[in-house]
Amino acid sequence: MKLFVFKSKDEFIGIESDYVYRIIDDLKVTPVPLTPESYTGLLYHRGELFDVINMRLFLGYPDEGSSETTRIIIIKWLNKKLAVIPDEIVGMIWIDDNSENTNEYYHEERKIRLMKPDYIWKKLSELSYGPNKI
Amino acid sequence: MGKTSIRIKLITYFLILILVVIVVIVTVNRITGDFYLAQGLSVALAMGIGTIFGIIFSRSLILRLNKLSTAAREISDGNLTREIEIISGDEIRDLEEIFSLMVSHLRTLLFDMKSVSIKIHETNSALTKLAKKLLESSNEIDITAKSIAKSSEDQTEIVRNTTIKLEGGIKVMDELVNQSAHTISKVDEAIKKTQKGETNARETLSHLELVLKEMGEYAQPVLRLPDKVEKIKVVTNVMEAIAQKTDLLSLNASIEATRAGESGKGFAIVAEEIRNMAENSKQSSQAITRLVEDILTDNKFLKEFLVKNQTDLDKGREIIRGIVQTFGDMLYGVKEIFSEIKSMEEATIRQAKELRSFSDKFKELASFASQNFESTQKTAISTRNQKVEVRKIVSTIRLLDRLSEKMMETQQLFSLPEQTQQLPEKQPEENQP
Repeated sequence: MKLFVFKSKDEFIGIESDYVYRIIDDLKVTPVPLTPESYTGLLYHRGELFDVINMRLFLGYPDEGSSETTRIIIIKWLNKKLAVIPDEIVGMIWIDDNSENTNEYYHEERKIRLMKPDYIWKKLSELSYGPNKI
Repeated sequence: MGKTSIRIKLITYFLILILVVIVVIVTVNRITGDFYLAQGLSVALAMGIGTIFGIIFSRSLILRLNKLSTAAREISDGNLTREIEIISGDEIRDLEEIFSLMVSHLRTLLFDMKSVSIKIHETNSALTKLAKKLLESSNEIDITAKSIAKSSEDQTEIVRNTTIKLEGGIKVMDELVNQSAHTISKVDEAIKKTQKGETNARETLSHLELVLKEMGEYAQPVLRLPDKVEKIKVVTNVMEAIAQKTDLLSLNASIEATRAGESGKGFAIVAEEIRNMAENSKQSSQAITRLVEDILTDNKFLKEFLVKNQTDLDKGREIIRGIVQTFGDMLYGVKEIFSEIKSMEEATIRQAKELRSFSDKFKELASFASQNFESTQKTAISTRNQKVEVRKIVSTIRLLDRLSEKMMETQQLFSLPEQTQQLPEKQPEENQP
């Protein structure tokens, strides 16, 4: 199985490469009020709107802001689309799909947590809305 | 009345007697014719007449002698008013005249004696006054001589002490002269060293000017370096941006290759390699950037160092200029000091010479003071002797005065005629010392 791996804080997160649509470095994200803290805003890219998630906040870590090297990973699956902001992009890796725990894989002594886009979407919808983004 | 001697009288009386005898003899002889009778008669007559004559003559002589004797007795009793009557012209007259002259002389003598005694008394009084004054003067001289002797002694002591101090002063002056000579040699040495220092400072300044000029020239590339480095940074930024874009592109290429499935596998490998290359390029670019940053930092330090160095060198130049100026001032000052010390040395030598001359004069003064002291001592002794002599004179004056009084008393014993008694009265004795 081929995973697209990125890093947030010290955690390596892997998404199946079939869901990864594009990597962009355009960070013109429009914030949306009354959304969860990890919901950064909306990204307009090539005629489409993407919900942008800050993975660090999403995973419960404090935000450290963005830099020039910060990228946005655009994910598309089924008819859904999402964009996540990692700390660092590791790249494509091949892993053997014979693990008992289908959520965790090890590659070059790194523990990679497999995260499905639905999980992110579901988790995002469970997050409470707050006024902090206003 | 003519002067006739007694002898002539006696001869005359004898001749007259002889004549009478002869006449009597002749007469008696004629009348009587008796020669013997005539002779006897003449002898008797001669004897009678002779006796009468003798009595008359002797009586006359005795009477006059008695008169003289009475006058002499009266004179011996002090009566000099008695006048001797001169009658005859014989030898008694001579005696009377001599006696009268003697009385006259005696009167004169007594008068003279009186006047002399008065004068002696007056002189005694004056002498007594003088003796008193002399004694007072002698006392004053004695006191003054003692005071002078004491002063001379003190003066001698002071002069001796002053001479010792002057000797000390001369020694100090000599030491000062030596010190001045030593100082002059030191100042001379200081002048040479200051001149050398000034020359060295000038050379250092010219070297520093050269170094500053060279540093300015050498610093230009260093100062230009940031601009070049900035350009390198721009290039590396471009490179980094390209690398990032390449990385992004390779990522998306690998995503596309993955989506292409099995056919995109090779492309995925290529994309991965490109990504690695982009990553390497990015790292290289970052390394270059870091290097450039390091170079910039170093350059900044170097620039700061150069600026600081330039400032320090400017300060150093100013300091060295100040040192040159100071050396010049020092040289001027040291030369002034040299001149001052030189004139001071000359003045000190002159002063030492004058002090030595002064000391010699003081030695002479000490000698004079010593002589003065001795003279004063002698004067004091002489004054003491003089006082003794004055006292002797005073006692002599007193003795003389007593004699004068005695003489006056003696003179009082004699009565003198009125006209000879008009003499000044004896002055009362005053201020007997």
